[in-house]
Amino acid sequence: DALLGCHRSYRSRPTHGIGKFKYLLPKEVPKKKKEKVQMKEIDAGTEYQYGDVNIQMTSYDLCLVEHFAQHVHRLCNRLSIRVNESYAMPTKTNEVLFMEERGSKMQLDAVLTTHQRVVQIRGLSSTFAPILLEIIQSNQPEGVHLLMKQHTEADFKSRLKARRELEELLAEMS
Amino acid sequence: PCRAQPKKKKKVDVRKEQAQKERMKKKLKKLEKAAPELIPIEDFITPLKYSESNRVRSLPALSPEESERRVLLLKKWCLFKQKQDEAEKKAIKALVASQEEALQELRLESEDLYEAAIRRDEELFPFERDGPSYTPPLPGYDPPEGKCIDITKVYTQ
Repeated sequence: DALLGCHRSYRSRPTHGIGKFKYLLPKEVPKKKKEKVQMKEIDAGTEYQYGDVNIQMTSYDLCLVEHFAQHVHRLCNRLSIRVNESYAMPTKTNEVLFMEERGSKMQLDAVLTTHQRVVQIRGLSSTFAPILLEIIQSNQPEGVHLLMKQHTEADFKSRLKARRELEELLAEMS
Repeated sequence: PCRAQPKKKKKVDVRKEQAQKERMKKKLKKLEKAAPELIPIEDFITPLKYSESNRVRSLPALSPEESERRVLLLKKWCLFKQKQDEAEKKAIKALVASQEEALQELRLESEDLYEAAIRRDEELFPFERDGPSYTPPLPGYDPPEGKCIDITKVYTQ
């Protein structure tokens, strides 16, 4: 009992710290908790500033749209426009079928993948907006479709997975 | 006449309905607790067939003249791109400066017009524009009949 209950450390003795071993073990990195995907607040913007604006670039060519998105991002950095997020929307795959000239069968022509990249800006001043638009348009590559619009909750929800059970339950409840 | 039984049925029904509602609410709470997930983007996942194979491309050896020609071409291209970029930056600065000047002049003219000009344009967004095309569509072209089917994979949580 006395041995277990003793807390004195005897710091002057050479046996001080005997029995310590945790300093010898490799340091454990604290576990990262999963970051919940939450919607960030959408800025509405004042009368002289636009709020959250989405620049959406769509194309069939992946490398082109990726490079253009990077170019737009760097341009905004250079012009000191705050970029909230720069993400990719899920790819859409389309099968193109065409009718043969002599026959009634649908012939498989190609499988096209549509890629979309989004750069979200905040705090674009009303005087600078047309200039930015002009620059982006002049640098627009071939086949890339540009779309600029305000950010809405629906835009954010389109990135999330569909929850069938939740929707069914909600429909049943109401 | 039978009275007791219908009364019991009503009570039992009400209780059953209440129990069902509670169960549904509990289920809803559980589902809502789980955070929504983002749809995985297929662009960023390299298909396995590109990482498994061991095929390596063997390029032919370049002659010194060829490599020098390429290096000089690269330097010329770098210079050209630098000039282009500088011209663009200069154009942006000129645009901003001229806009500032015009606004200053307008302010001197009338405050109301200046205020109206500074305000943000609601009709600017949404703005859509198709990129320029290598080959614009032919005027008298008759395309064959066909259809597009959307075969994107639908992810559910």
